[in-house]
Amino acid sequence: MAHLQISDVTLSFGGLKALSHVDMTIEPGLITSIIGPNGAGKTSMLNCISGFYHPTKGEIKYKDKDLSNASPHQVSTMGIARAFQNLELFSGLSVLDNLLLARHQNLTYSFFHAAVFFGKASRVEAENRKFVEDIIDFMELEPYRKNLVGSLSYGIQKKVEVARALTLDPEILLLDEPMAGMNIQEKEDIVRFVMDIQKERSVTVVLVEHDLGVVMDISDRIYVLDFGEVIGSGTPEEVANNPKVIDAYIGED
Amino acid sequence: MSQNRWLATGNFFTSYKQEQRTFFTHLDRTIFTCFLVLLFGWPLVFEISNKYMLVLDNILIAIVAVMGLNLLLGFAGLISIGHAAFVGIGAYTVASVCQVIGENHVIVTHFWPVLIVCAGIMGAIFGAFVGLPALRLKHLYLAIATLSFQMIFEWFIQFMSFFNQGQTIYVGRAHWFTGQVGRSEHYLFWYYIILIIVVVLGFGVRNLLKTKYGRCLVAVRDNDRAADAMGMNPGLTKVYAFALAGFFAGVAGALHAYLYRGVGFDSFTLHHSVAYLAMAIVGGLGTLNGIFWGPVAIKYLDLQVEQFSELAGHYLTYAPNVATALKPLSFGLVIVLFLMYEPRGIANWWRIVKSYTKLWPFRY
Repeated sequence: MAHLQISDVTLSFGGLKALSHVDMTIEPGLITSIIGPNGAGKTSMLNCISGFYHPTKGEIKYKDKDLSNASPHQVSTMGIARAFQNLELFSGLSVLDNLLLARHQNLTYSFFHAAVFFGKASRVEAENRKFVEDIIDFMELEPYRKNLVGSLSYGIQKKVEVARALTLDPEILLLDEPMAGMNIQEKEDIVRFVMDIQKERSVTVVLVEHDLGVVMDISDRIYVLDFGEVIGSGTPEEVANNPKVIDAYIGED
Repeated sequence: MSQNRWLATGNFFTSYKQEQRTFFTHLDRTIFTCFLVLLFGWPLVFEISNKYMLVLDNILIAIVAVMGLNLLLGFAGLISIGHAAFVGIGAYTVASVCQVIGENHVIVTHFWPVLIVCAGIMGAIFGAFVGLPALRLKHLYLAIATLSFQMIFEWFIQFMSFFNQGQTIYVGRAHWFTGQVGRSEHYLFWYYIILIIVVVLGFGVRNLLKTKYGRCLVAVRDNDRAADAMGMNPGLTKVYAFALAGFFAGVAGALHAYLYRGVGFDSFTLHHSVAYLAMAIVGGLGTLNGIFWGPVAIKYLDLQVEQFSELAGHYLTYAPNVATALKPLSFGLVIVLFLMYEPRGIANWWRIVKSYTKLWPFRY
């Protein structure tokens, strides 16, 4: 039973087809990677899943629910979280508040409870704070808990970005180039986190990444996009031996 | 928890609930309580003229209004140049009740707390409505949209005979448990009432900012795309921010109506909107204590300039309009200087002073 079924998705902006007839199946519990040259439509695909774009044609189904026309906040409450490629953090808030914001839907007190801040609001805040602390512990962000996110270094901010998506307690985590612009150690760190997220927290991971070495190492399934079309899919070995993929990356001889 | 609850030398929390406290040490709490007692107690000891009492009342009303504006502009990042119009909505809610049932009806004179809350709700409704363009507009364009609301409001009031075409609509004297509040204690009475409202609303804002209802405002300010992905509806949040600002403005308007015992359109013009903006900026956007600094600073400046220009007018008899020229001049100068040299407002000075005294007499 497929977790997330993307069937015949086409996304066009005027005459430009960002995606055409894309079919994908995201199986539960696996790391699925989406790769492709620049402008292949990888981020567009993630935007379609997370609700920032709505596909022109085709449908995206998650557990029999149609995501094609859902807005991002609806998608996030269904259990699909997303980390952005270009840091989209709340830079005026601390790391703690950034993560607490991702608990927005789980903070169930009413406005008047909040204004008085007594009883329920206080209790629910403390409970969610505990959840957030677990994530901070998991992502090893303890030293930066109270720092303003805007003042942190790029590598840490990327980690906060992943942590924030994880705080939504998702079943599917969409990671958009979590390793872009990092050095080898930071990359290794993130790879370790991605694998831990999959194994320990049993989250399905969808990874968009340019570093082919990383992708080949950790992915269970790979989809290769080029000019908005799926040109190859399967296990890393299958993809690596697919002539179309080799053409797209290296060029025809 | 540290053994010494008076002077904590570090962070000794053992539960998340302890970290939610408003006051972390007994010292903080005591100083704050003393400050409140002082605010409530001084009129019993000193007697000041009605003129200065009115200034104090005005400051407190401006604090209530700026509370809303700071939430909107400082925390949610949405510009509103129509804040005085929201204050006007509150005032005219009271005024229209007076028009319909008479200015000395028992509802106006005895149930004024209900009317003040109603005015706040009315402000919130109008706020939410005016906030609708915020779903599509940002920054300067939103400012223009709110400016148009200010214009519509002024035009509407001036052309409706129901609102006396902007001329004063009288509001009856309020009653207290001891009977009608007389002329001599009128300003003192409202000083106490507004002070209580400021304290209650201040704590309300303080609590809201600790919860999701405050955090979501900052989220849409910093990054509304990410806010959307984090499961909050950015559009609704923006409308909510406007409604919140409208509520505070409405309450301020109703208090204004009762304090002056009348409502006229010229207290809610564009000039006042800009003045509220100035108070919010000078106080410090996006800070809680800035809400209180701004109105105090601007109104105090007004008072000083008035006295100075009286003095100047005394010597410069050939230029009798010095007073009228000095006021807008100093006002503009202060805003420009703050924007240039301290865009974070007086709240930043407060922060510096606090961190300095924390370590004093040691340097680090």
